[in-house]
Amino acid sequence: MRKKYKFPYFYLAFISILMYLPFLVVVVFSFNESKLPTIFTNFSFKWYKELFYNKRLLESLLNSFLLGIFSTLASAVIGTIGAVGLAKTHYKLNKPVSYIATLPMMIPEIILAMVFLAFFSLLSLPFGFVTLLIAHTAFCVPYILIMVSSTINTLDKELEEAARDLGASRRRAFIDIILPLLFPSILSGSILAFAMSLDDVVISVFVNSPYFVTLPVRVYTQLKTGVTPEINALCTIMLIICLIGITIYYILSNKKEKHKHD
Amino acid sequence: MIKKISVVLLLTILLLTFTSCNKAEKDQLVLYTWEGMFPREVLEGFTKQTGIEIIYSTFDLNETMLEKLSTANGTSTYDLVIGDDYIIDAVIKRGLAQKLDKTQIPSFGNINPIYQGYFYDETNEYTVPYGAGIPMIVYNPDEIDFDIDSYQDLWDPRLKDSIAITANYRLVNGITLMSMGKGLNETDIPTIKAAGEKLLLLADNIRLVQDDNTQLSLLNGEAKVALLYTSQVTSVLAENPNLKAVFPSEGLGIGIMDFFIPKDAKNAKAAHRFLEYILQPQVAADCFNYLGYFCTTKAADDLVNPNLVFKGEFKGEIMQNVPEDADEQYNKNWIEFKTALN
Repeated sequence: MRKKYKFPYFYLAFISILMYLPFLVVVVFSFNESKLPTIFTNFSFKWYKELFYNKRLLESLLNSFLLGIFSTLASAVIGTIGAVGLAKTHYKLNKPVSYIATLPMMIPEIILAMVFLAFFSLLSLPFGFVTLLIAHTAFCVPYILIMVSSTINTLDKELEEAARDLGASRRRAFIDIILPLLFPSILSGSILAFAMSLDDVVISVFVNSPYFVTLPVRVYTQLKTGVTPEINALCTIMLIICLIGITIYYILSNKKEKHKHD
Repeated sequence: MIKKISVVLLLTILLLTFTSCNKAEKDQLVLYTWEGMFPREVLEGFTKQTGIEIIYSTFDLNETMLEKLSTANGTSTYDLVIGDDYIIDAVIKRGLAQKLDKTQIPSFGNINPIYQGYFYDETNEYTVPYGAGIPMIVYNPDEIDFDIDSYQDLWDPRLKDSIAITANYRLVNGITLMSMGKGLNETDIPTIKAAGEKLLLLADNIRLVQDDNTQLSLLNGEAKVALLYTSQVTSVLAENPNLKAVFPSEGLGIGIMDFFIPKDAKNAKAAHRFLEYILQPQVAADCFNYLGYFCTTKAADDLVNPNLVFKGEFKGEIMQNVPEDADEQYNKNWIEFKTALN
């Protein structure tokens, strides 16, 4: 009989506490009446009420989601086409191109931010949604490109050939065969890209306009005057949304698995 | 399917660009500063009074603001900016600010003159101060049986292992220099070295060195004395009014935030109106009570939280950038001090 080690359980518990205790603290203190982050005085919904009245904060939350969705969509299209193109063609430049394409992910954000600031000023492009979209798309593309590139080489080439053999046009074969097969990796790349876009401060603070400010910028620029517990309330709400999202995803993927087995 | 998505995408982008263009044509004031500088009622009050909409835009660091103003070359979107003293020096030197039209600010005289006339704007032509920070010593009189009223008192052996200080190397060096009768911006290397040696003697009394939430150590009893920034002093006094906050007798290291109007502001008129509005005693009092910084509008002194009004003879100095070799020595002192703590 195999001896049962207790170590794995301790390890798991330790890591879980280390990672999730801060979340719990945020949730608990979002219901704290006092402004100070260490002493729990009274249970109250005060900060949720404040948050509800803080139009600027809510508007920037909406802006963040809008920007995240659009930059993810744009980079999903560009990244997927790029990955397919790199896999289907055999030019000498393919390798260098695939390295250069991941550059926005490698170079420090602050440098990228300065580059965008200088570039957009040079073009006299007015700062705002468009500049943010371009900048965010630029650093989101690599995530999708890498994800899709890694699966595309494992795909069975004969599937596409079979479709072509049966009379499908190139486009038809791409849309009906390749794209559905790539979809899981496009999706996981997109989720990564969305998360990246949602929490970016460094680049956004340089290329935004007064009329379109994202949530992380609002929160980060509060540091000088002190972050208020409204942010805790907001974090709690977002945490709940994320949990619901993960649960739905889990249920759906479980259903699919079952379908497969049936 | 893909066509449909791309059409929707394009339309939305077009729509968003248009809406942001339309917005700029109304009567608006674009404010550029940190988040959380004004209570909501003050901003809404201005819009109600004048009909001018306020677009509140934020930056994280003074340097970000300077960079954005200097790359804008003539297309600046900002009408009114608040920044710290040292960065305003750079802004004015680079010609990025415009002179105030004082005929449009009849209440200019409401400003407390002790917060005016510093190195960045000696003749008060460009700036209107908005709040000052003065690091102070706060202590718990129940736990300490003698009066602390100077930086020198921090070296008292009775305070062994009981002081909390902020982790600002220039400030900590500065208080040491001031306790020796020197200035905050000393550039003489041997003098700074001597301060470093004196600073080492303070290590025994230090309980913790921390920049954020230093004030909490006074509340949970970890420290008995603390050197704190103004916002920390305000919040700790609100929590425990028994604590005593003192202006050290050797002098003060102050920091001032100021309004200025960028050179190419589109709506300088609205900016002037906002300045006039913010200098009204009641409005100013609301702002400083909310912000927790020292009141720079003298006319509001009677209306504001008394802890935010400076009393007594003012001996203040603003921290400025020093030559590289002096800064290096300051850093060296700091590292040696931190090593001595362990």
